Amino acid sequence: MRQHVIELILFSTYAELRAERARNYLGIIWWVLEPAMMMGAFWLVFDVILKTGGPDNLAFLLTGLTMWQWMKSCITHGGYAIWSNLNLIRQARLPLIVFPLVQMLADTVKFFFIFLLLVVILWLLGHPPNKAWAALPVIFVAIFLFAAGGGFILAAIVPFVPDVRFVIEQVLTVVMFLSGVVFALTNMPEHVHAVMQWNPVAGLVDATRGVVMYGRWPDWTALAKVAGVSALVLALGIAMIVRLTPRYPKLAA
Amino acid sequence: MSGETLIELEHVGVAFSATRSVGGGRYWALEDVSLRLKRGERLGVIGRNGAGKSTLLRVLAGILEPDRGRVRRGPVSCQLLSLALGFMPYLTGRDNAVLSGLMLGLRQREIVRRLPAIREFSELGDFFDEPIQSYSSGMVMRLAFSVAIQVEPDVMLIDEVLAVGDAEFQEKSGTALRERMRQGHTVVLVSHSEKEVTALCDRLLWIEHGRSVMEGDRDSVYEAYHQQLHLGEAAT
Repeated sequence: MRQHVIELILFSTYAELRAERARNYLGIIWWVLEPAMMMGAFWLVFDVILKTGGPDNLAFLLTGLTMWQWMKSCITHGGYAIWSNLNLIRQARLPLIVFPLVQMLADTVKFFFIFLLLVVILWLLGHPPNKAWAALPVIFVAIFLFAAGGGFILAAIVPFVPDVRFVIEQVLTVVMFLSGVVFALTNMPEHVHAVMQWNPVAGLVDATRGVVMYGRWPDWTALAKVAGVSALVLALGIAMIVRLTPRYPKLAA
Repeated sequence: MSGETLIELEHVGVAFSATRSVGGGRYWALEDVSLRLKRGERLGVIGRNGAGKSTLLRVLAGILEPDRGRVRRGPVSCQLLSLALGFMPYLTGRDNAVLSGLMLGLRQREIVRRLPAIREFSELGDFFDEPIQSYSSGMVMRLAFSVAIQVEPDVMLIDEVLAVGDAEFQEKSGTALRERMRQGHTVVLVSHSEKEVTALCDRLLWIEHGRSVMEGDRDSVYEAYHQQLHLGEAAT
């Protein structure tokens, strides 16, 4: 049973990526081109026009956006996965955590392609790989746990209240701006800054920047705290989905 | 082994949400259905449209849990033969066959082993490796049926899928499915075709408005069913 579910998850992930590749004329190129265009837009507005940053601003911005896009896509795609598969769920008896997980894994595969591009750009900008890069897998695991936690909780709720989708996008945009993804939080008033210390997105993005831009090892305690809390949230999300499984196929179409 | 009860339903009711909006009520698609399914039995479910036949099959498949009553199930695999389950338009016939097979409960190596048979049975030829969005709807159904027929659960649940595709393929798929049913599998069949039900089932369950009206041997249930239909016509 368990092996069958693993096969289903892996093949569905492959199918998802494969279908996405086939869907557009340029196929796989869009995995990288789309985020590259978005980064270009932010760079144009914040760096070229508004001149918000100092030196290293481009590396700062690209790293932040790359990490944020991965988190955001896992949260939204995973969050909508059960809702968008309700027709299938009415027809087959499948473990429902498969649906969000497949979306998150597909997004993670795409993230790795984008990250490779980021590595090349960072190198060109004078930030070659350094010893602290050894910490990246740990940071990535923490980020995945965090995004999956949010994604699974949403996946459990959205089928009951699909309207929250309209709120989620806006909330995530606010989170992005308050997490130092686009501009450094140091520019903020002191009391806001203090609150932001508790923002896990800011911590995770900062940890990544520290490694890839300054060769700085992450704050392991802070990372462990984020990962630990995220794992608890993730467990709660999975428990909710398992518990609510009998109710999803009975929701109105 | 024959005669062992595999699944038993006692006064089962299933309610669905009526609407999406806040405070929307529920409606009972099944009100009160009881049945006992024994190993090797071929049970036909009859009743008019909206009687709850498809809902009943999904309860038997374990997709829907009852909101009242009880379901007792032995350690058996039950599978609803859903056609085109999980099909994705941008994937090839081959990839869709694997994906759908996995969703129908097959292991990947079993499906891969059966891919040549699926390709052969579906008569798709080189189209098997093309995205199914380039298929006609008949071709999609041929592929879907060829995958579904590979599944061999202990209890087969069939909802009106005896005839798909053009006349020739209908003949072929019907024959394959009947063959499968005759191999001694336990089967629950929902069909509006009295001819099919008579040919394939030995027992019948008649449900109306979500309630069991009668369960018993084929001929006596059909007799009562027809009497009721005539009474209904006479009354109007």
